[in-house]
Amino acid sequence: MNPPILKAMSDISLRLTVSPPPHWRSGRTIQGMMRAHLLALAPAAVMAVVMYGVRAFAVMGMAGTAAVLTEVICLLLQKRDVDIDNYSALYAGVLFAFLLPATAPWWLAVIGGALTIALGRTVFGGFGCNPVCAPLVAWAVCRFSWPGAMDIDLNLAAYMANSPVDQLMHFGVSSLGQFDYMDLFMGRGLGGLGSSQVVALAAGGLFLLAAGWIRLFIPVGFLVGVAGTAAIYWVIDPTAYADPMFHLVAGSTIFGAFFLAPDTASSPVGKIPQTMFGLIAGAMVVIIRVYGVYPDGVPFAIMVANLLSPLLERLRPKYFGVR
Amino acid sequence: MLKIHYSLDQKPADSIRDLEPPKVLNISVRNLVLKTRKGAVLAKGDQVAEHPSPGGGACHAAQGGKVKAVNYHSLTVQCTGGEETVAHVDVASMGKGSELLRALQELGVDVAPLTGSAEVLVVNGLNPEPGVSVAQQLLRDGGEELRAGLEMARKLLSPSRAILAVSKGEDVSIPGAETVGIRAKYPYSLDALVVRTVTGKEFPEHTRVINVMDLFDLGKVTLTGLPVTETFMTIDGHNYRVPVGTPVRHILEVLDLKAAPGDTIVLGGPFRGESIYSLDQGVKKEDYGMFITSSDAIPEVQDAACMNCGECVLHCPARVLPHLISRYAEYERFEEAERYGLNSCFECGLCAFNCFARRPLLQYIRFAKAQIRAKGQGTQS
Repeated sequence: MNPPILKAMSDISLRLTVSPPPHWRSGRTIQGMMRAHLLALAPAAVMAVVMYGVRAFAVMGMAGTAAVLTEVICLLLQKRDVDIDNYSALYAGVLFAFLLPATAPWWLAVIGGALTIALGRTVFGGFGCNPVCAPLVAWAVCRFSWPGAMDIDLNLAAYMANSPVDQLMHFGVSSLGQFDYMDLFMGRGLGGLGSSQVVALAAGGLFLLAAGWIRLFIPVGFLVGVAGTAAIYWVIDPTAYADPMFHLVAGSTIFGAFFLAPDTASSPVGKIPQTMFGLIAGAMVVIIRVYGVYPDGVPFAIMVANLLSPLLERLRPKYFGVR
Repeated sequence: MLKIHYSLDQKPADSIRDLEPPKVLNISVRNLVLKTRKGAVLAKGDQVAEHPSPGGGACHAAQGGKVKAVNYHSLTVQCTGGEETVAHVDVASMGKGSELLRALQELGVDVAPLTGSAEVLVVNGLNPEPGVSVAQQLLRDGGEELRAGLEMARKLLSPSRAILAVSKGEDVSIPGAETVGIRAKYPYSLDALVVRTVTGKEFPEHTRVINVMDLFDLGKVTLTGLPVTETFMTIDGHNYRVPVGTPVRHILEVLDLKAAPGDTIVLGGPFRGESIYSLDQGVKKEDYGMFITSSDAIPEVQDAACMNCGECVLHCPARVLPHLISRYAEYERFEEAERYGLNSCFECGLCAFNCFARRPLLQYIRFAKAQIRAKGQGTQS
């Protein structure tokens, strides 16, 4: 039975806010986090528009809009509060668009944006519950369903430049002489519309690190994993395998390191698991580039590492005082 | 503008100030065993309630007066300002044993940490939380009481070592205890972490911790033989001697502080304290500070889903997994919560402090602990 008076001295003249401790909090919110992430993507988006024209902007806009609208529908169907104002759906949709060729047709962008939310997130329980990075789920579905429309090299054949990772896969290391790494670093190589804007993405990633929105463990682990594995192959046979520097600036390595791999829900928790996760994902990138049938190993590498997250989370220290 | 910081080192500017005595006391008696009734006339120091647990200290009237109202939550005393007090109990000359413990308990001292024997006695002399300077103040100004308190604690526990932990660089000592400096940053003031710094072990056996505020109370009881009826609180940067049961409204009035509708008023510290719902609520013996946070200073707590970012795990000094504990607690699966380190948690609140999703993690942890405790009691009886 409840006590007869629930609030013994309640007072209506001055209503105080009662909240659980701690009464100080860091002031960080999901909304702030996603806003910072979108801001970090902005330089790459601008570079993409400069490079590919306004159609790049249209692809990002369509994918983002489709993602947000899908999120609204999914939340309404689940009878949950519509919280698209935290920008997480928009961010996921734009991440998906970054992986597309700039010439992607409108239906591909829309379907991909919708799949990012519906198949990537909602079926697993919504934002924060996805076991695999949501934009990558949509990317994989589209890649298998419409390989022609998703193929970077094929769709961007009209451009003078080549896609470095496709060149490596089809023509081997000897073809890489055409690339100046500085050019690739500045984003002057073909690739996903945003994911190949290396310098802009690196600037955005460093901003996120400096602002404390992402931690060092995953990006550093990822980059070390890529460089380390590439170095091993390169030392074995420099004529058959590309050097580590190439793997760092080619394809979507930087995009994966700062934006896809640190995705909160699908990456593990804790210092050791996060570092291991980064290393494994990075190593997988090079292994897929060397042996795989897909030119840019980053999406699949991160998806494989995502599936290892629950296992990696077992690598944790003992609780305080437990012997 | 609210300034959030972790520093515990705040030297008190002046000496302890007295608060104008209140006309009414609202003594919190929730979960206590009442020893008085409505209409009773109390002298200063009369016992009003006993603690139901084996070692818990009793509760006394801080001023003489008449009991005006009693409910499950609090006891209202209309103060008459009478000078008559209870007779003092000469605990200082009593021999070690259960009789002495009983006498101390009757005088309002929580004797649970003083029962039995221990090899190491640690006196936690750090300010408990940022913004609170009571511990440093008492270490500076309460030499006599602390000495008497430590003597009494040594008599009860007969430890082979007594260690006083203070913020690094602080030059204070209590006769009979060696002084150890600790980095003055929250959460290193919490008992579990102080003990680890001092002894090098996590949750060691045969070690007892007592904080300076409790040691001061023990010493004062030993010296005067009168019950504990006041607490020391940091309010607006100064330390006040506050009678237990003083309504918060009275504190705001005499110190000319303002609270607007929607603000949060916290008794205790900003990380672990309790927010009150009414200005009539009285301060409790264990409160060491009062804070007013304006409603727009901090994004409010949300009943949101965890998004697995791992900030709580990376900040946790006890290396537990608050994100999983809170999820299990949310769905009342407390045994599973224990598997993820619930029992190692010492409730610093840094998980909820850092949570991007603004989940009430500390609340879930305390809830799970309380439910497990209640369940244990249920099966025993």
